[in-house]
Amino acid sequence: MPLPAKAFQLWLHSVAPTASTADICRISGIKRTTLAQQLVRGKVSESTLVSISRALKRSPLDDLASFDSFAGLAEQPQLPTPAELVSQIATMDLLRAVISRSSPAYGGFGDHGSALTPPLSAAPHATSVRNWVDAIDDGELRHRVSAATGVAPQNYSAQLTANRLAPELAVATSRAAGVGFTGGLVATGLLTEAEAGWTPAAKQAALDALSDGELTALAGERLQSLGRTLRRQEQEHEQTKKIWENLG
Amino acid sequence: MIAILQWSTLAVCALAAIARVPSALRGENRSLFFVYLFLTVAILLSIDAPYVAIDQALGGLNLANLVLRFIIFGAIFALGLRIARGFGADDALRLLTGPVGVAVAALASVAVMVVFLMMDTAGSSAGLIAVHAKDARNALLVEYYGAAGRLYPAYVMLALLPAMLRTVGSRLPGLVRVGAALLAVGSVAITLSLLFPVIPESLAYLRFLINYTAILCLIVGLATIWLSKAVAKRTQEMQTNVTG
Repeated sequence: MPLPAKAFQLWLHSVAPTASTADICRISGIKRTTLAQQLVRGKVSESTLVSISRALKRSPLDDLASFDSFAGLAEQPQLPTPAELVSQIATMDLLRAVISRSSPAYGGFGDHGSALTPPLSAAPHATSVRNWVDAIDDGELRHRVSAATGVAPQNYSAQLTANRLAPELAVATSRAAGVGFTGGLVATGLLTEAEAGWTPAAKQAALDALSDGELTALAGERLQSLGRTLRRQEQEHEQTKKIWENLG
Repeated sequence: MIAILQWSTLAVCALAAIARVPSALRGENRSLFFVYLFLTVAILLSIDAPYVAIDQALGGLNLANLVLRFIIFGAIFALGLRIARGFGADDALRLLTGPVGVAVAALASVAVMVVFLMMDTAGSSAGLIAVHAKDARNALLVEYYGAAGRLYPAYVMLALLPAMLRTVGSRLPGLVRVGAALLAVGSVAITLSLLFPVIPESLAYLRFLINYTAILCLIVGLATIWLSKAVAKRTQEMQTNVTG
């Protein structure tokens, strides 16, 4: 469930008592029609709140936590686990790390890396949602989330495949896995790493802590799944082309 | 109401045929152009005024109706081949070109011709309504004639229906799936036309509705797939990206 419009308007009035709706839309870059529609329907999306909170230079995390459905979000700032941090590193960055650790003959710098290695790109990446869930899944996680939220497992999986996850589902997933609440919100791109309270070097540190074996195996898994995705896309393109050749 | 439906279907189909002329001249999918052309002629021949005019020229023996049946057979067969190949439906392709498909086509053709020869077909009348009204024997023969004429199209479209539904449920581009869905609706409508004999007289308008829904869905469905190709050429959505 997105945020109730009534609670949203109370919040908006308390944080920006003098601003008109037009002002709010202008500074946050939200279309006026979008906001009006969300208010009329009685449901305001979390990303609307985050955009406004950002524009007002407030903490989106704290503001989200002021709503009942996200209560407890900011209370116990539990930091992301190393596995969660690594899950938010893009596949191409992992591969670059593999090469970077290889011997100079293969373009690497040896085990200790180099200042020349480009910094990791910011989360989220193309498969960040599924990678995050995989990183915290003990094998039963999806069933527990499904039981707790009433969302059918296939709908949950469909969201992961599309690299999406509704914020309340992301929080429910964190809760079911017993990890901090911010991981899912970063993986879905609702919050940036900084807004979630992650330190700038946290991802790099988690990556550096991986042994060569762990890093290589992880990069391999990511490559395999990327290969499957690309092959499926190529197959679909072939099918589409065939349809166009014959019927277009 | 029915006249509006008839003439607008004719207009849509003729426009689609005209729109395909340039690509047909370039040599792309010529058979599809002829499918549109045949369907346009078929619709023309199912409307009263043009039918009577053309049939008078052919001798006033309702030969135009027989021609119409075979135009439909030909158009549906050509369309069926295209759809089966396009949707990669080897099973449907076998059903169309294999012994069963040939047998159904032959059976329907022979039945249409024999029944036509048995009828007293003098006097041009679209849909053979005047022949139907002559006497009980001719009325019955017209029913058989119609059933035989609907048999083959229904067989072809039914054979293709699973492949269309597979495409609708796939993850192909949205417009392609919309096109496949329209084709599927058209196929179901053509199959439903087999039930015409049990539709009571009071609901006779349903026959027109089903017939023209079928043709409109087929034409618009094909046009949608064509459109999706044009759109994709512009947006280049058919690219894979290794970064995931």
